[in-house]
Order: sequence, then structure tokens, then C-alpha cells
Amino acid sequence: MAGVSKITTGLTGLAVAAKPHHTLGVLYSKILRTLQKMPQDAAYRRHTEIIINERAQILKSNSDIEVVENQIGCGQIEEVIVQAENELILARKMLNWKPWEPLLREAPPNQWAWPPAQAKN
Amino acid sequence: MASAAIRRGAREVKPILSLDLDESRKRVLNLYKAWFRQLPYIVKQYDIPMNIEQCRSVLRQQFTNMIAYQDVRLMDMMVIKSQMELKEIVNMWKQKGHVMAYFAKDTVEPKPKDFLSKFLSGKD
Amino acid sequence: MLRQFLSRTFSRSLPCSISQFSNRAISSEAVAETTIETRPTVRKPDEVARGQLTDFGKYVAECLPKYIQTIQITAGDELELLIVPEGVVPVLQFLKDHHNAQFANLVDIGGMDVPSRHNRFEIIYNILSLRYNSRIRVKTYTDELTPIESCNEVFKAANWYEREIWDMYGVFFSNHPDLRRILTDYGFEGHPFRKDFPLSGYVEVRYDDEKKRVVVEPLELAQEFRKFELSAPWEQFPNFRNANPAAEEVVPEKK
Repeated sequence: MAGVSKITTGLTGLAVAAKPHHTLGVLYSKILRTLQKMPQDAAYRRHTEIIINERAQILKSNSDIEVVENQIGCGQIEEVIVQAENELILARKMLNWKPWEPLLREAPPNQWAWPPAQAKN
Repeated sequence: MASAAIRRGAREVKPILSLDLDESRKRVLNLYKAWFRQLPYIVKQYDIPMNIEQCRSVLRQQFTNMIAYQDVRLMDMMVIKSQMELKEIVNMWKQKGHVMAYFAKDTVEPKPKDFLSKFLSGKD
Repeated sequence: MLRQFLSRTFSRSLPCSISQFSNRAISSEAVAETTIETRPTVRKPDEVARGQLTDFGKYVAECLPKYIQTIQITAGDELELLIVPEGVVPVLQFLKDHHNAQFANLVDIGGMDVPSRHNRFEIIYNILSLRYNSRIRVKTYTDELTPIESCNEVFKAANWYEREIWDMYGVFFSNHPDLRRILTDYGFEGHPFRKDFPLSGYVEVRYDDEKKRVVVEPLELAQEFRKFELSAPWEQFPNFRNANPAAEEVVPEKK
């Protein structure tokens, strides 16, 4: 029973992860590889790399899951895995969307003006 | 960027379904065919008190009424809405009253035209 | 406890230049808002949440400069992201899946009709992050014939909300799996939440005793033409006219 520290996550539909270190390691390296295809100065890449590197560092330096959970501070390790999966999907989609490009177009004048009666002045 | 768009004069718009008039024309024709083929079933399933020829002329009338609208996006939008109506009919979501609203306008009294009938109907 | 958690996570995960800026922003706003609201019926804006949301708005704008037109704070402490219509799916996907956002719940999609504008409809997405106990709003615009990309693939909850918008405003959502009417009756004409929809509707429905069925008859509209007066009835009072603006824009710092 060394590997299995808990029976349930207490969250519906979320099973206890068997090998969280391995899963997260794979996910984080996949995310980092995806991010490397983005331009160097893309803000999304910079910010995400910081988050991922920090979490990967915590994961590498601690073998106890509870310590890792506390240091990451973003829920149980299973939730952290889900977050990493989401980030990976997002990063792959971002490659197509290229959100670091300049603004597509400005809004038409008075489009966001509120209240509309005062917009004409 | 905005000034360039103004100088070009034409407004860039996002297509709904069709990219040009030919394509949207095809969509309209396909829709017409779909309605046309469905008519015998509609008459039977909804027990419409008309024969198929009459229904077809009503259908034709409905489409020719809209012939003035030759805008790609407007045509697309009308096709989409009509397609939804057809789906509602095919799946029997509509009831007889809903379907009859297309075919029979016989309950609507004509508007009074001359003075005396206006006076008698009590409307000005 | 969640608040502490929120602030801790945000400040920790943001790069240091931004977190330094955030401290400065919070303190300067705290100085500006020295007049303490004492009227009991007025909701007091949450200053902590306001500072965090301001920073978060700048963070999102930095990450997605292609889509975000304006960031603004309304009602004191509510963040609104105003985006280009093409950016609905990317922005919502980012807000849902990014580590620092995790807005996993779509609470509601709203619509708004302002006929005097160039693009008359506004589509408003209200989203909630359970992880960070925070709510924000994403707004975009469209007109009668411009389709909006359906965000059904991002949030499954969007299905019925988008059907509702389609039914009430007639805004078409492309790539929606099941776009059809949801609230109005079959055969209903028009979109009831449009400002130019007459209060009585276009048709009248009644049971006809002779025909033994329900008949639909066009309604004679007493009012043929409506002018849209968008000014409020209390516009003449300076207290209203010169009141605080409805929204304060957040300007992200340039590099």
C-alpha cells in the first residue's frame, strides 16, 4: 500500500491517479514542447512556461504527493493532472489561433458606449 | 486599418453559409425541392383539406413572394429558418393549426375599403 | 480562506513585473477610494477583488492581444472583457483551460439589442471560476446577419443558451449542433427580444369554432412606426447625468 495513499478523491468522476509523477511529467513535457513552437515573445508562452516550470520543479523535488499538493496549492494531484490536460489541449489549439498577433480590428465607434443616449454627445 | 476599409468602399462581411449568389441560389432551389417532395406527406399526415396541386401553388407563391431579396446572407438566413420549419413539420412537432397557417388565410376578414363598410365595421 | 488562496495563487503565478505592478495598482486605488460609502442600501465594491480582477484583465489582454479590444471594470468590481466577434471560442477556451483562469462554468449567455449601434446586438457570456471563486463577463457584438461562432465545443452548457439567443434575437450561431427554437411556439414569426418587435406581436392566435381548429390571423398594429428614444426619463437631472460612468476602462501598460 505504499503507492496508494488514498482510496478516493471525494470528487465524482475523478479516480485516484495511480502514478501521478509519471503522468504529470509526461503532460508537462508535452506542454513545453508545444509551447516551444510559439514565438519567443508571445505572452501566453512566457506565462505558461513559468507556471509549468514551477510545477515541474515542485514535482521533481518532492516524492510525497501531499507535499506536492500543498506546494502547488491548486487542489488534489488528480485535479492538477486535469488542469495540465486542459492546458495541453489549449496550447495545441493556440498554435492554430495565434492569439499573440495584433488586434484583428477595433470596435466601430460607440459600439461599447453606455448608456447609448449619451454616446452621441 | 479602419480608414483603409472605408476607402475601399465595400463592407467586408462574414458569410453565413454561402460565399456567392450562385451557391445561395442552389440552397434556395434545394429547399424548394425538399418542400415540394414533402407536400404529399404533409397533406396526408396533417389532414389538410386541400389537394396537392393547391398546396403546390401556395408553396410556389411563398417562394416567389421572396424573389426580391437577392442578398446572399439574407437568402441564407431565410433558407435556414425555412429549413427549421420544414424539420418541425417532418418530425410532427407542429400541429394542424400551425401548418394550416401557411395554406389557408380564409378566416381573415378583408379590410374594409369604402366608407360604408368602414362605418359598419366600426373602424375608421 | 478561498480569498487568501486566490490572491496567493495569482500573485505567485504571475511574473514578477506584473505582480509588482499589481501591488502598486491596489495601493493607488485604495488611496483614490478614500470616501467610504456609508449609505446602507448601496452595495460596496470589493476592493481586493477589484484589484485582482484588474490585474487578471491585464493578464488576459497581454496573452490574447489579437482578440481583446477593451477591458473594463463595471459596478466597482466586475470585470468585463470586450472582444472581437471572431474571438469567442479562443477567448472562452483560454479562460476555461488556462491554469491561471479555470473559468470552467458557463453561467449564462445573455443578449442585448441597441438599434442605434452599427452592430446592434451584444452577446454576453457570464463565466464562473470555482477554483478562484471569481466571475467575469465576456462581451462581443454582431448584427442581424453576421453569424457568431458557437462555443458549444468549449462549454456544453452553451447549447440551450445559444438556442435561446437565436430564438429571442435571431443571432445565428454557426457550428451549433442543434439550433432551433426553444421558447416560442412553432410557426411563430419574429424575434421577441428585438427592440423593433411590437409588444403585441405580429399575429393573433385563436380557436375558430367554424373551422374547428386554431387559426392564426395577422394583427392590425395600432402603431406603425416607433422611434427609439434611448435616453432615460431622468436624463434632465444633473445628479443622474453627471453620475459616475457605467464602466471604467483598464488600460494595459505598454512595453
